[in-house]
Amino acid sequence: MFDVDIFHNLILGFQVATTWQNLLFCLIGVTIGTLIGVLPGIGPTTGIAILIPVTFGMSATTAIITMAGIYYGAMYGGSTTSILINLPGESASVMTMLDGYQMARKGRAGPALGMAALASFIAGTFSIIMLTLIAPPLASYAVSFGPPEYFALTFMGLTLVSALGGDNPLKAYISAVVGLLVACIGIDAISGVARFTFDDANLLDGVGFIGMAIGLFAISEILVNIEEPMKQVFSDAKLGFMSLFPNLQDWKDSFGALWRGSVLGFFIGTLPGSGATLCSFIAYAVEKKVSKHPEKFGTGVIEGVAAPEGANNAAAGGGMVPLLTLGIPSGGATAVMLGALMIHGLRPGPMLFSTNPEFVWGLIASMYIGNVFLIILNMPLIGIWVQLLKVPYKVLMPLILTIAATGIFATDNNIFDMWIMFFFGLVGYVMRKLGFPAAPMVLALVLGRLVEMSLRQSLTISHGSISIFFNRPISGVLMVVALLSLFSPLIHSLWVRYKSGKEKDFTPSEW
Amino acid sequence: MKKADMIASVVLLALAGYVIQDAWRMPPSATFGPSAGFLPFWLGILLAVLATILFVTNLKRETTEKDREAVFPGKKALFAITLVMAGLAVYIELIEVLGFLVDTFLFILFLVKVVEREPWRLTLTVAVSTTVVLFITFQILLKITLPSNMFGF
Repeated sequence: MFDVDIFHNLILGFQVATTWQNLLFCLIGVTIGTLIGVLPGIGPTTGIAILIPVTFGMSATTAIITMAGIYYGAMYGGSTTSILINLPGESASVMTMLDGYQMARKGRAGPALGMAALASFIAGTFSIIMLTLIAPPLASYAVSFGPPEYFALTFMGLTLVSALGGDNPLKAYISAVVGLLVACIGIDAISGVARFTFDDANLLDGVGFIGMAIGLFAISEILVNIEEPMKQVFSDAKLGFMSLFPNLQDWKDSFGALWRGSVLGFFIGTLPGSGATLCSFIAYAVEKKVSKHPEKFGTGVIEGVAAPEGANNAAAGGGMVPLLTLGIPSGGATAVMLGALMIHGLRPGPMLFSTNPEFVWGLIASMYIGNVFLIILNMPLIGIWVQLLKVPYKVLMPLILTIAATGIFATDNNIFDMWIMFFFGLVGYVMRKLGFPAAPMVLALVLGRLVEMSLRQSLTISHGSISIFFNRPISGVLMVVALLSLFSPLIHSLWVRYKSGKEKDFTPSEW
Repeated sequence: MKKADMIASVVLLALAGYVIQDAWRMPPSATFGPSAGFLPFWLGILLAVLATILFVTNLKRETTEKDREAVFPGKKALFAITLVMAGLAVYIELIEVLGFLVDTFLFILFLVKVVEREPWRLTLTVAVSTTVVLFITFQILLKITLPSNMFGF
């Protein structure tokens, strides 16, 4: 029965995804995504954030198709600069640099770029198939969730984002708590009391999500880039179409890396807080561990390109699972998408599969199509993207800044939102400098209302006893996971103390 | 980093203090269940605890080589950042006076010419093309009414 359902739903999805608008915007989305991936100094989260206002004229389905396209498109594009000029186009491609650039120096830029694109396609498609199979049962399971489960889920999402999202969990927790406090600003939905509004009527509605996200991600990114002017580096690699294809030996070498990267990327990618960057780190580390010749990693082995590139694309698909089924984003980019959908009037979560099947399945089907677009954009047309590297950042910076500002104004016709962007731009810059990650704060703002409502509803049901979160099986498990991840820094530091003296192991945080 | 972290934790403690006392004064729930001040109050407590941990761990740990590096960039970079943010503030403040077209054009002129010190030809090309592309995208394609000045543009 079940398989038939999925088949029907996929057909519905393809009917939605192949209308000319959706096809066009899928193509536009993946093209912008590739562009953002190629250009250093602007990442997918920033790209999606500044383009949210542009999507308001579209239907919610077209909007999410475009935004998702930017996200997974950026995973393709990011590898190009990593390989050619040893500069990651975005953070998920940092690991690709290690072996990709070495391959380019040995004159094998073509196969490296080709393998990056093909690995992206294979792993990306794998993760969409997994998404197609896993999301519906998970959603139908989650329909029975009540307030305690939702609180436990959001709580777990926030603790995982903070525990996994960077090298200083304490600062990530602080970032999340401040984000929740920002979410409290405005009129309390239950009692009607105005909170932390500083008697400013503009704040009664709460802090605008777009202004905050663009400030924290885009403006602070611009400020950091101004401070260290980017060097213009060009590549003179000759890239004929045929030179892009990896040879048989390359495929043999990469086979294991491809499937391990796909599986790891997808499953780790579904965890809230993981994000594509972490997945590519882990995939590279695992590949090095299982390899027969770990010492060759970093000298230009093709597995070192296939594993992280596969993983970051699989993670982009994996990240859609918690977003669509539970309404919990997996990282910064999906948090921004969730915020955008809420402005579109959609509340992602388990009900979405039954109330808006054309939305969910249209998106999933569009991802299959988008991956085909991307392999075309990134194989025969790679030369064009390499040319685009010549666009200097000084042209890009005013463009990003004015798109962001105009877009924010366009959202609500409100100058106040631009000041929100300005304020959080400064806050975001200081946070970057001090090592406080921005993603937990944005996630907390997006989830804030849900956290508070579910918490207060649960406590009302239980007459004020917190045991309600632990008595129910699902919320109990989620709470235990959350508490474990909350105390993981403590456990980790005890472990490090226990191991001290021994040789230091490879850890992602070193990078 | 050590000193910066300690300053940050003091600022966060002050913020937590403000939140706690403000949440404390929020009206109690008229009906059954937790009131409006419930979550902010506990978040304030949590923030205070986390900030204290940040302060204490930094106080106790040894100063490393990395701590001696400056957290914020040198004067030149800070000046450029200040210029951009000041320009942005003026841009936001004037957008309803000058109108979108003039204000955006001048802002980009300022960014490219004053902040990045590019030659006039590049400056004008970037300023004109960016303004026109944004205007076409938002005003014409997306049909959003952008601010205009007293002369109507």
